[in-house]
Amino acid sequence: MNVTLCRIGSLSLVLWLTACQPAPATHGANGLVYCAEGSPETFNPQLVTSGTTIDAISQHLYDRLLDIDPNDGSLKPALAQSWQVSADGLSYRFKLRSDVQFHQTKYFTPARPLNAEDVTFTFNRMLLLDHPFFQTAIEYPYFDSIDWRHRVQSVTAVSPDEVEFKLNQPDSSFLSVLATDFSAILSAEYGAQLVQRNEKLNLDLLPIGTGPFVFREYQKDVLIRYYRHTAYWREHGSLTQLVVDIVPDNTKRLAKLLTQECDVAPIPRLAELEMLSNRSDFRVDQQTSMNVGFWAFNTQKAPFNQVKVRQALALAVNKPNIMQAVYFGQAEEATSVLPPNSWAYRKQNAPEGFNPVKARQLLEEAGYPNGFSLDIWAMPVQRMYNPNAQKMAELIQADLRAIGIKARIVSYEWNTFRRKLGQGEHDSVLIGWSADNADPDNFLRPLLSCAAAVSGSNRANWCDPQFDQFIASALQTTNVPQRRSYYLAAQQYLQEQMPLVPIAHSKRFQVKNHKVTGVSINPYGGISFVNAGKTP
Amino acid sequence: MILRYLARRLFLLGFVFVALTIFVFSLNYLFPGDLVSNLTGLRDISPEQHQELQQTLGLNQSIWQQYIEYNRRLFAGDWGLSFSSQQSVLTEIGKVLPATLELTSYALCLSLLVGIPLGLLAAVKKDSLLDKCISSVALVGYSMPVFWLALICIMLFSLQLGWLPTSGRLGVLFEVPAQTGFIFIDILLAPQIDRSAAAYNALLHLTLPTLILASYPTNVMIRFVRHSMVDVLDQNYIKTARAKGLSRGQVLYRHGLRNALLPVTRQVGLQFSSLITLAMLTEVIFSWPGIGQWLIDSIYQRNYPAIQAGLLVVSSLVICVNMLTEIVHTLFNPLARKL
Amino acid sequence: MKKLRLYYEEYNKKPYQLLWKHFVPQHFALFGLIILSVLLLLAVISPFISPHDPYQQNAELLLLAPSWQGSGLVSYPFGTDDLGRDLMSRLMLGASYSFGLAILAVCGSMLIGLLLGALAGMTRGVQSSIFNHLLDLALTIPSLLLAIVIVAVLGPGLLNTIWAIMLALLPQFIHGVGNAIQEQLKQDYVVAYRLDGANNWQILWSVVLPNLWEPLSLLFTMALSTAILDIAALGFLGLGAQAPTPEWGSMVADALDSIYLAPWTVALPGLLIFITVLSINLVGDGLHKAMKKRRGS
Repeated sequence: MNVTLCRIGSLSLVLWLTACQPAPATHGANGLVYCAEGSPETFNPQLVTSGTTIDAISQHLYDRLLDIDPNDGSLKPALAQSWQVSADGLSYRFKLRSDVQFHQTKYFTPARPLNAEDVTFTFNRMLLLDHPFFQTAIEYPYFDSIDWRHRVQSVTAVSPDEVEFKLNQPDSSFLSVLATDFSAILSAEYGAQLVQRNEKLNLDLLPIGTGPFVFREYQKDVLIRYYRHTAYWREHGSLTQLVVDIVPDNTKRLAKLLTQECDVAPIPRLAELEMLSNRSDFRVDQQTSMNVGFWAFNTQKAPFNQVKVRQALALAVNKPNIMQAVYFGQAEEATSVLPPNSWAYRKQNAPEGFNPVKARQLLEEAGYPNGFSLDIWAMPVQRMYNPNAQKMAELIQADLRAIGIKARIVSYEWNTFRRKLGQGEHDSVLIGWSADNADPDNFLRPLLSCAAAVSGSNRANWCDPQFDQFIASALQTTNVPQRRSYYLAAQQYLQEQMPLVPIAHSKRFQVKNHKVTGVSINPYGGISFVNAGKTP
Repeated sequence: MILRYLARRLFLLGFVFVALTIFVFSLNYLFPGDLVSNLTGLRDISPEQHQELQQTLGLNQSIWQQYIEYNRRLFAGDWGLSFSSQQSVLTEIGKVLPATLELTSYALCLSLLVGIPLGLLAAVKKDSLLDKCISSVALVGYSMPVFWLALICIMLFSLQLGWLPTSGRLGVLFEVPAQTGFIFIDILLAPQIDRSAAAYNALLHLTLPTLILASYPTNVMIRFVRHSMVDVLDQNYIKTARAKGLSRGQVLYRHGLRNALLPVTRQVGLQFSSLITLAMLTEVIFSWPGIGQWLIDSIYQRNYPAIQAGLLVVSSLVICVNMLTEIVHTLFNPLARKL
Repeated sequence: MKKLRLYYEEYNKKPYQLLWKHFVPQHFALFGLIILSVLLLLAVISPFISPHDPYQQNAELLLLAPSWQGSGLVSYPFGTDDLGRDLMSRLMLGASYSFGLAILAVCGSMLIGLLLGALAGMTRGVQSSIFNHLLDLALTIPSLLLAIVIVAVLGPGLLNTIWAIMLALLPQFIHGVGNAIQEQLKQDYVVAYRLDGANNWQILWSVVLPNLWEPLSLLFTMALSTAILDIAALGFLGLGAQAPTPEWGSMVADALDSIYLAPWTVALPGLLIFITVLSINLVGDGLHKAMKKRRGS
């Protein structure tokens, strides 16, 4: 009897165990979990250029005057129904929609829909020194790098639903600027309330926008919680909740994806792409993307202020190795800062590839026959333009050892890393840039202009008036072939001066659970969940 | 007499705390960076602010004065700001400490519940097959690096079988505001959620980290209890009891158990410090938002005020636990009382 | 058959031989000892016998499978890691870091612990009490936390973690040595020596120290297993050995990125740590049993 009981007991135990379905980690709530690779620095896109922050906040909380069509890069109306450009290119007039509601939260209830006052409030913040919120931010990196204050003369509300921008000189990239994620429209009413309550910093910490999701809570370095904006002006998906789960570690992110604790994850490890593509419960999206990963030298420090040294270092890097080991063949070797799918790119005489002998020669000529030692700062996070900066640094370290240069790899936690980078503590850094719009100015200016060297996004700290001249001239005209010739001259100049070594243009990948619908890759800017839904 | 003993213990406790604060205070000088920055946690200090702060912190006075100032600030609750978040370190610790306490106490309870009976069993059936099995399992578990064990368990239970989640305390779609920091109490207090679903979810998240964390102390407990019990069973009074005619069970319960378990309380206290180390590693692997992960993040961010505060809190915790277990041990063990 | 004796003489085995005699029948402990000797040998001569250069990156052979799988090559017996470096050579060199350095750290700690423990054990009264309570403080700081503090002061790196481990192990040695000395001092033969007129130093040198090696060797094995686990843990967290040093713990952390594609890169270093610590514990247990038997017999 005992034995039979024992047998029945163990049999039922076994049956029960095998019949156990993996319990989904989330119950009941119709929500989507997006696993991000880092924490946002702020909740206002005006204040950052970091892709991590933009992904986490921009398309969820805010709208812009114009949107970029993800398929062809053309500009589409968003908050602005229509627009007119004056004949001399100095005046832009926008007519706004009348049915756009702001968010309602515990800390703010809107009394009116969007009007021209909100647009002027948003853009004058960076323009007018006496704007109540001008001082609350340390900097506006994107707008400083494109020299907003000298470019724009005024932003005025002509009527309750019309705004006029007056420029100081013609600018063929201006509309593209207004379509970037950085040009998010804020609420003037909320701003006024904050001024009254003397809580001005909350403009960037407790955000109010017009976007498809409303801010609910932020647990620092843990998660951001958004609720659905029921009064959103566009048709949007069926999600009641959107949670951005912050998971800096790549392996953990993939693990969360596999156990369904995450529904969408960006930038999967390229090595696992094949494995993920073969599984029926995941979809892998890919897109040729406008980005560039590069190795920038701090040209303010010796010996990187010498062109010959920079050229030598560039010749020492074995790029095909990096393509294989870091990008697993999913990227193109970069010959210029601009990616091949930019209209200002033309295949030039490819620069000399891997040539350690010539590198040594150049080093000797520059006065370093015995080499020297340098730091390579490697990002601790994965970005689409560089999925593994640590590994890339190790490969370059080995390459440099072959020409007699000793390299040390330095890394910190991401926000600490960016802060120290901004203070110019690095010798060289492995970092990159991805496009915010289809305009080539968006690549060249924020990365290499003199204004950007001041604002901090110019990692090479390189300021060359000749280069600035090229890109300024390109903006003066709307004639595309003429613009292209200026950009070609700029790229040629960059190849000669080599303030940074372009390494790769990578494809952009995203993995999502097969139950997720309506999410695709946005080649320009942050991820959008406007049309997202989840089948049970 | 008990009072005198307690008084002595408290005096010694105070002495140890003083030594601890001296150590932590000296770290301000040893850590790289500006002294004022390390003491207060402020990052960008203007020169005038710097002068002002030097006055308030009493940096112009002798080292002893500075130390006394430092202690005064500690008692007043001003432990400085964290470099990264610029929030008070004390509030941050208050948020993360309950998570660690929860995990550690569950693991400790589990190790006691599993380790003591197994150890007793192994000792009573000494040199039998059962004893050899239990001892070998304990030896193997004792030798395994905790991060490796954690990785293997995650690979097996989370990724292959899909039974358990890989990280965190609760599924992110459940909105449970952190009122006490102890997850089950918070779930009870949370408005508008499906309580049973949330509690089940929290339990799933708790399972794997607790099991991993409990593995080392359980094995230590098994080995220790077995050793202690074998020693006790060898004693003459056990032979006397058997000779008197008591059955095995009676001998075990009345004489063996109490004597064998006495050193266990002491051992728990001594093991607590290594338990904290393991808890820190476990928290990092499972992204458990406790003080261990917080401290390790602080070192990555070179967040010196946070490291100091964390050191102070964790060491105080270990000292208190040690003291408690020693007092309990002395209360129950007449032999130790004469000290 | 009885051993042939040419002449009558009392033949007593030396204490070490007795110990060995009791140690050998414990097969597991002997097995552990053999493994430890192999690892020690590896730690010393690995730079000379490793099949490839542990730092040599090979872009063509990334994440090569181990040789027992179909896609592996015999020339790379354990396969390669994600930068194309031979895993077997790295594991062999890692023995000198994870195991060799641990031994050095424990030896250093033991020496200092012996000195200070002698002080603690031989003194009495208030001095001893203060010293013991300071020691209690040191015992209460978890070893990982102490290592973090030292790394924060000195910066990450393998050498700094060695200092941290030495500091963390010191209190245990001092405590253990102090207790052992106290126990020795209660023995009758010490009283006899004192009656003969020996002073403290002579007692320490001639009587106490030679009897200490028993508890000392047990402390050594326990400390060694703790040291190896701690060095590996610190390497795993990135606070210890830095790239490209092939320390086993940091190898596990580096290989985590490719865990789905190449689980052996994570499993093998961890397995080696496990085997090392297991052998040490086996030898420690065997030694303990052998000592008890030798004393009891």
